[in-house]
Amino acid sequence: MLAQANTTIPVAIGTTYEGRDPKLLERMLPLVDYIEVTPETIAEVHDHKLALSHDVMTELKNIEKETQIVVHGVGLSIGSHEGWSSNYFQLLDALLEQIDVAWHSEHLGYTKVDGQHLGIMLALPKTDQVLDMVCERVIKIQERYPLPFLLENIVHVIPDFPGDYSEAGFLNALVNRTGCRLILDVYNLQCDEHNHGFDISGFLNEIELTKVRELHVACGVEHNGFLLDVHSKLTRSSTIRLAQNVVRRSEGSVELLVYEFMPEAVPGLGRNAIAQELRRLRLAFGD
Amino acid sequence: MDLAAHQRTLLALFRSSYEVRPDDDPYIRKVACSDDLKEARGNIFLWRVWVLERTAPLTFALLKGRNLVRRTVCAFIKGHNISPFRETHAPAFLEALSSHHESLIASVAQFELALLKVKQGDPGFHVVHWDIEPHAVLNNLARRLPFDAEVPKGSYEIHISRELPSLFRIVRVAQMH
Repeated sequence: MLAQANTTIPVAIGTTYEGRDPKLLERMLPLVDYIEVTPETIAEVHDHKLALSHDVMTELKNIEKETQIVVHGVGLSIGSHEGWSSNYFQLLDALLEQIDVAWHSEHLGYTKVDGQHLGIMLALPKTDQVLDMVCERVIKIQERYPLPFLLENIVHVIPDFPGDYSEAGFLNALVNRTGCRLILDVYNLQCDEHNHGFDISGFLNEIELTKVRELHVACGVEHNGFLLDVHSKLTRSSTIRLAQNVVRRSEGSVELLVYEFMPEAVPGLGRNAIAQELRRLRLAFGD
Repeated sequence: MDLAAHQRTLLALFRSSYEVRPDDDPYIRKVACSDDLKEARGNIFLWRVWVLERTAPLTFALLKGRNLVRRTVCAFIKGHNISPFRETHAPAFLEALSSHHESLIASVAQFELALLKVKQGDPGFHVVHWDIEPHAVLNNLARRLPFDAEVPKGSYEIHISRELPSLFRIVRVAQMH
């Protein structure tokens, strides 16, 4: 069930599912090729320890034959100076033992410093020192898991540190040194454009789009003049057009487009609207 | 650059625990006085609110009804090293509120925490004491309805266990005179 984006290049459609809402899953499954799972959001606390929810894992095992699953973490904190979060790997190990996964991915940023959680994800300074550190960690991840590993560009919530590389230059160096692939979150690019005047066109001209395997689309709200990365709305037409532009220029490297929304947004959006959004995306990327 | 120092300073800026000095790196000075930082701090608050509204709905509804959400959640953020693992937020929040000076908030938080544990497989038998009649309070909180400030007083217990048919039962405690 692959869709097409006004070209002959097929793009699969996926969406977020964090478990515990079988009615939503039932509505979404016929409309998607992939389900994106985040280990942290399907974890529960048992005796002060994190473990994957047995109920959610049962849900995922039940859909394995109908759809492919990709893992998209948020808690690895690959850019923390002191090292990443080992909790994340414990959950990922447990998940991979139970279900088959097409590939796994994380964010190019950090969420903790000296074990203290920021409460938000911050972008890394794009320096040679940081590039060396992240490349070393990506290679360790690739050695540990025999699966493709992707990293995603994150939104910049504070002004960018003046480093040695441009945004695209850093990502190009990262993929060329490690062989990992990219998730390009096009809504994040739009947030950066709105909030910091980021040059999307220049970025797309510089980045090696043939290293992009997955796209993310989403929408948040505008607050105090800032466009927020909160995944609470249906995708804007401009975001879809931007994603289509990337697909056309990616020479077939983009295999999957994922519509992301957070579970807190489901009551406001409604299950019907989410299903309709997936139909809309399939149409937008269809022939 | 010193990456550790850079990240530590940004953490402190986000936690409002760092005063910028004239000799700080120009980048740090730029971030410290930016609207972006102010907005990002607000976003952290909103993320917590959204997650807690979903994962601790009874206690959250009680706080909302009393206009205590901002004050309580801000205190929680300031006093806790909150994990990015979202499902850890509610247990930590409810644990913190279980000793709240207002007995109704403490009782609702204790009840909701015990219920959360039992739903996740905890085999224990939990008892929460109430000094008002719990039925109307819990019913209205679950339905997001306001409830009468003059709820009948009395001595009650809520027993919470996975062995109970609806996971909990309300018991009126006989007064000992």
